[in-house]
Amino acid sequence: MAAAGDIRSALDLELVPPAPPPQKKAAPPAVRKPEGISRELFSLIGPSSTTLVAQLAKPRLKQKPNLGQGSKIKWEWRAFKNGARTDSLQLHHWTKASADPNEEYQFAKYNVQPVAYTYSQDEYTRFLEDEEWTKEETDYLMNIVREYDTRWYVILDRYDFPSPKERTMEDIKDRYCAVCRKLIRNRPWAGDDASKNLLMASFNFDKDREVMRKKYVASLEGRTKEQIAEEEALYMEIKRLEQNERRFKRDRDDLLRTIAGIESGLPDIVEDEAALTGMLLDAKRNKRKGGDLDSPATPLLGGSIRRIPTVPKNTAYDLQHCITRTDQTGTTKAAHQPAYLRSFKLPFPKASVAPKVSQTLTELGVSHTRLVMPTHANVALLEGLIDAATSLVETKKVVDKVDYDIQVLKNRLGMQGPATKMEEGEDGMEVDDGNDAEGDIDAEGEDGRAQSVVSTRSARSRKQARRSVSVSSVDTSATVSTRAGTKRQRRN
Amino acid sequence: MVNYGGDEVSALVIDIGTSSVRAGYAGDDTPKAVIPTSYGYHRTAPDADSAMQDVTEDPMNNPGTPKIAKMHMGQYGPTVWREGMEVANPMVEGLVNDFGPVAALMRHAVVDVMRCNPSDHPILVTEPAWNTPANRERMAEIMFEEFQVPAFYIANTGVLNAFAAGKGSALVIDVGHTMASVTPVVDGFVLRKGLAYSPLPQYVHAHARHLLVNPTPHRRGIDLFPHQLIANKLPVDAGAPPRFALREDRVPKTTQSWRAWSEAREVDEWIQSVAGVLETGWNDQAAASRPPKQYEFPTGYISYFGPERYSVGEQFFLHAPQMMSSNSHLPKTMTALISESLRACDPELRQVIMGNVVLTGGGSLFAGFGDRLSAELSRNFPHVKIHSPGNPVERRYGGWLGGSVLGSLGTFHQLWISKEEWAEHGKAIVGQRCK
Repeated sequence: MAAAGDIRSALDLELVPPAPPPQKKAAPPAVRKPEGISRELFSLIGPSSTTLVAQLAKPRLKQKPNLGQGSKIKWEWRAFKNGARTDSLQLHHWTKASADPNEEYQFAKYNVQPVAYTYSQDEYTRFLEDEEWTKEETDYLMNIVREYDTRWYVILDRYDFPSPKERTMEDIKDRYCAVCRKLIRNRPWAGDDASKNLLMASFNFDKDREVMRKKYVASLEGRTKEQIAEEEALYMEIKRLEQNERRFKRDRDDLLRTIAGIESGLPDIVEDEAALTGMLLDAKRNKRKGGDLDSPATPLLGGSIRRIPTVPKNTAYDLQHCITRTDQTGTTKAAHQPAYLRSFKLPFPKASVAPKVSQTLTELGVSHTRLVMPTHANVALLEGLIDAATSLVETKKVVDKVDYDIQVLKNRLGMQGPATKMEEGEDGMEVDDGNDAEGDIDAEGEDGRAQSVVSTRSARSRKQARRSVSVSSVDTSATVSTRAGTKRQRRN
Repeated sequence: MVNYGGDEVSALVIDIGTSSVRAGYAGDDTPKAVIPTSYGYHRTAPDADSAMQDVTEDPMNNPGTPKIAKMHMGQYGPTVWREGMEVANPMVEGLVNDFGPVAALMRHAVVDVMRCNPSDHPILVTEPAWNTPANRERMAEIMFEEFQVPAFYIANTGVLNAFAAGKGSALVIDVGHTMASVTPVVDGFVLRKGLAYSPLPQYVHAHARHLLVNPTPHRRGIDLFPHQLIANKLPVDAGAPPRFALREDRVPKTTQSWRAWSEAREVDEWIQSVAGVLETGWNDQAAASRPPKQYEFPTGYISYFGPERYSVGEQFFLHAPQMMSSNSHLPKTMTALISESLRACDPELRQVIMGNVVLTGGGSLFAGFGDRLSAELSRNFPHVKIHSPGNPVERRYGGWLGGSVLGSLGTFHQLWISKEEWAEHGKAIVGQRCK
């Protein structure tokens, strides 16, 4: 059989050196199968998955803590001397044998002696004379204060000097502080003035004030149970009144703002004004930017660009084509409003007064949930109507409350007389008036109806707000419902 | 160890009360030796004049100075019946009245029970707040001269009880075996002017005894024979007359004082297991609505105790008006003691200590006592806070426990009166050092 070389030479091909014998496949470095993994699995995943290996490594026990460096500690029963003692008493305790036997007793350092003020006879006669105190008693006082380390309650308890009068704690404190102050003031002082004054201040004692304070404390304690209860009741009452006052004021402001708007001159309006001026400024800025439109920087503000053609408003054209131009104030993304159906913008009364408001509106024959033609103007009108109705309901509430308060106060004064009855009568008349007015309004044409209702309503509510203190009304909800009933009949 | 400021020098703490003497190492949480303070003794000539001896009913009031031939103390002391053995108690109103037996009792506790040599250990002894200077000096003398202690200190139980509760300032209400006291403590010092105490527990005990011994419409008077005098008994129904036989061999040889002591013990047993106090104040309906408790006396007599068991506890807080009018020397009630104590305190201080009321003493374990006290106090002080350990050991041995705390403090060791100082200054040093 011809070898490959023969054939090659026969075909005149280049002679290829015989291929080296295939090398024995290098055995992979022997990796030991880690513990806790089956042989089959290991042969599949191989030794490369290090994490697995690490995880499956043999768990090791936690290292034992090395307490006391391993070696045993020798303790011994040793006598010790306490530096805070003046005698030679030697007590024994267990200490480490390694501890220095001559070491200062570790608790001796807590034996701090307070600074004691002493004075000579000469100093006493020069500075410390006091007609209420003899030198003997002062000496006694200074000693006992030092002995009990200015624990005044204890000092007073142990104070036992045959003095002409009973000493109170304030007397003792006052005398002690006075003596110390005088000594500090009159002695040469090594440090600076500030530290001297500080030390002096620590001995300040206002006796009269202390006595007064103690009296107050005593009188506080001396209150009887009834007094305490009464005090607490009064406190609660005050809190309640304050809260009422605050709420009433807020409500009144809200009402005024709703009714009179900016003319009410209430401070909170300022916020709106600020917003308004901000808007104006914004508009101005936009305008200015619109002026140099040719500069390439402006296109960033898409709003302003869109605005440009609208700036020259053609009111006649708009009116003719029923175009309403909204005042696009916001140019930022957040202020941007996507297109919407105006029927989504139908206003809703506040949830708290919604039933009453809707009742009032039903009574007018207006459904606030459905507007046949929700044009801009109509929506605005409806909004105005609902606002007015809300304020009316709220005013009514306030009136009722005030009236109730008046009733209660009158009851309390025991003066409930014919006056209230008269007022009730008057109110009834008033309600009737309102009815009539509404009836008139109903008779009016469909066009101006909403507008006129709102105006009369708001006028009436304003009136009520003004005379809210004097008006007392009977159960209006009942009247309203009956009224509604009659009206429906009339309409039908 | 340093963190807690402790440094134990193997000091011993001895707390002597009317019912028991407690002794142990400072730093421990329970005394090692608790022995009854009452001791039995035989006179020099036993059975010579035992019949003649007229011992008053209350053993606590009559230690006298009997000539003692042999004393029986501790576990096998008065509880063991012995022929002609008298029983006495060296304490009167919480103070040591007779130092002879007290020294013997202390020696018994330290040497026989604890097996300590007193000359090796500094000893801290407690005293009630109303202890007299003469008494504490005598105690120091016994310690130094008789026991040869290297160092000695005497501390106030009021202060120690406050320390045991972990407080420096407190109003300590301590109801013991014979005395109830209210002690204002400020910064570890007793305000002596605010101290108020009365033998109220003794009065309560007398009331209970009266209640048991005297017949009532539905119950005969109860015999308070102790079990040591009963040979045998038969079970009977509740309320039925007991059927028991006395040990005729013992009864005639029993001394009057031992009878009185053992009967007092029976009364105490009854008080501890049956008597109580209503938590909110006396109310006939409330008392009647509580379930009655059954109790069996050593004679085998069984009875149910209804509202009457609450009338016992009521004596702690309120004296019946008719009692007040007939007896002007009634001990002050707890409420009276507390208000007296507070009245003597500065108004500003009252607020502080009322927030730190410590209730202690074995007598305060009386059923319902803590609740009633808290109800009484919070009526007048809305911010009152009562510290009353639930652990009976801490209540009963509060004074000892405080001594254990104090005696194991590193900073305290400078306060010991050493033997040297005693030799140098004599008795005066006691008053000077132990303020």
